[in-house]
Amino acid sequence: MANIIETAKGAGLFSTLLTAVEVASLTAALESPGPFTVFAPVDAAFAALPPGTVQTLVDNPPQLACILKFHVLSGAYSRSELVEQASWESLEGAAIPIRCAEPFEVKNASVLSADIVCDNGIVHVINRVMLPG
Amino acid sequence: MTVTTPATALPPSTHPFAEVVERLEAGGSMLPDTPENLMQIIGIYKAYAVPMDFYWRDLLYIAERVFLDPLPAFKYFPSQEYLDLPNSYAGDASKLRIWRGPATAHPELLAFMDKGEAGKLPKLLHHLWHDRINMEFAEACTDAMFWHQGMGGRFYDYLESDAYKANAERAILAYFKGNPLMLGLHKLFPEMFLEQVRKLSYYANLGLFWEVMAPVFFEMSDIYDEGGFSGVPAAIDFLVNGIFAVAGRPIYHHVYIGGECIEIIPKPAGFTWLYEAALPYVEAVFYRTAPFRGTKSYNAQAGQVPSQQADFHYGILYADVFPVGSAGIPPTLLMQDMLHFLPPYLVDLYRNHKRGEDDILVQLGITFQRSMYNVTSAVIQALRCALLFPLDDPDPEHLKANRAFFEAQLDRFLRPEARLRDVQTQDYR
Repeated sequence: MANIIETAKGAGLFSTLLTAVEVASLTAALESPGPFTVFAPVDAAFAALPPGTVQTLVDNPPQLACILKFHVLSGAYSRSELVEQASWESLEGAAIPIRCAEPFEVKNASVLSADIVCDNGIVHVINRVMLPG
Repeated sequence: MTVTTPATALPPSTHPFAEVVERLEAGGSMLPDTPENLMQIIGIYKAYAVPMDFYWRDLLYIAERVFLDPLPAFKYFPSQEYLDLPNSYAGDASKLRIWRGPATAHPELLAFMDKGEAGKLPKLLHHLWHDRINMEFAEACTDAMFWHQGMGGRFYDYLESDAYKANAERAILAYFKGNPLMLGLHKLFPEMFLEQVRKLSYYANLGLFWEVMAPVFFEMSDIYDEGGFSGVPAAIDFLVNGIFAVAGRPIYHHVYIGGECIEIIPKPAGFTWLYEAALPYVEAVFYRTAPFRGTKSYNAQAGQVPSQQADFHYGILYADVFPVGSAGIPPTLLMQDMLHFLPPYLVDLYRNHKRGEDDILVQLGITFQRSMYNVTSAVIQALRCALLFPLDDPDPEHLKANRAFFEAQLDRFLRPEARLRDVQTQDYR
C-alpha cells in the first residue's frame, strides 16, 4: 500500500496541495508512520480562492503550514468514525466541526470521496480549502 | 469573487434588517448601492489612506526603534528610513503589488509634513502646535486592541507564553545595557517593562495591518477616479479580494537594538494578518473601543458602561458623531487628519450640505462611518467566503447557514446606538 503522499501523487488531483505541503516542509511528516486523517482539498478548491491568496501563503511557509495542519487529524479515522463526534481537534489546534453525516460535510467543505486508506492513515477528498474560525 | 443571484431562493428573511440581509445575500454591502454612497466611501478612503501611510510607518518605527525609550519625546518623528520603508504591497519591488503607486511615503503626506496648515516652520513647532498627523489616534487604536484582547486569534495568548517572555527579556536587557537605573527598576518590577513590550507588540501588529490597508485604499481611489467601480458591490469585491490576497501575511514584532535584530515575535510563530490583526482590529476599533470623554459622559456606577468588555459598543459603527466629535479625543483627531487630504469632490459635497465648512468634521465623520460600515461588510463577506458557502450555492441548507451568519452579524446592530438604520438614508449627514 502507498503512504498519504504517494496516494495523493497517484490520484493526480492534488498538485497544488502537494506543492503547498512541500513548501511548508510537511512532506516528511506525512510520510511518517502517523497515522493521520487528511482532508485533502482538490486543485479546484485552491483555484477557487481569490487571486493572491495562495501566493501569499506560499511566500510565508510557517503561515501556510498552519492552514495545512488545519486539514490534518492525529489518528486514522474513517467516515463512520468521524460522524460520531461533533468536532475533531486538528493538528493546527483549532477544531474541525463535522457539519453533516449525509451528505458527508466537514466544516464548509463537502467530502467528494471518503475513506481512501493509506499505509499511514486515511484520506478524505474535499471540495474546499478549510480555514480556521 | 463575482456577484451572483442565489440559484435556490430562500423565503424572505424575517430579521428587522431584512433588507440588509437581502443585500448581503446578493454580494452587496450594509450600505445601499447609490452613486453618492460610492463617492463618499471612496473619497474618504483616500483621505484616510494618507494619514494611514504615516500611522503604519510610525507605529513600526516606535515598535522597532523607539522601543522602551523612557522619555519618547520624539516618537512621532519617524526616521527617514521609515518614511522610505518600502511598502510590501506597493512599488516596483513588491511581490504582491496592490497599489500601482510608489512604495515610499505618499507625496501628499510628505507635503503636509513639510508645510502643515501653518506653512514652512521647524518640525518641532509643527509638532507642538499640533499642526501634524495626529499619531495619538493610531496609539488609541493600539490601546483598544491591547485592552480588549480575547477577541479570537492566539496573538494575546502568545504574549503570555514563556517563549515570548524570554525574547522580551532578551530585548529589555539589550536595550538597557549599561543603564543601571533602568536595569535596577527591571529587577524590582520584572513585569513592568514586559507589559510595555506587549503593548509595543500591538504597535507592530497594527502597523503591519495598516501597511496593507493604505495601498488598498489608494488603489480604490485611483480606480474610482478612472470610473472603474460600477457601484458599492464592486467596491466590496475589491476589498474582499484584498483581504484574501494578504490574509496569510505574517504578523511579527522585531526590534533593532545596537545593530542587532531581536525577534520578539518571530515570523515562524505563524501569526497571520487576517486572524491576528484584521479581525481583532475590526472588533476592537469598529465595534468596541472605549467610552470617550467627549461632551457626552458615561456613569459606570449607574450601569451606563457594560460590565463585560465584549458588550462595549463605542466604535465608529455606533458613534453619534456630533458629541463624539469633541476636541482632543481620538475620533476627532482622525477626522482632523482626514480633513487635510479630502478629494475636491467631497469638499464640494460638504459645502452644499448642513452648515457647509463649519461642521465639515461632523459631516466627514459621518462619511467615515458609512465607509466603515462598508469595510465591515467586506469583512463579513470575507468571513462568509472563508467559513461558509458561496452565495450561489445550490444547496438550500448552505444558503440557510449563510443567512444565519449574516443575521447573527446584523444582530449586533439592533441596539439603539447602532447607526446601521441611519446610514440606509442619504439625508443622515
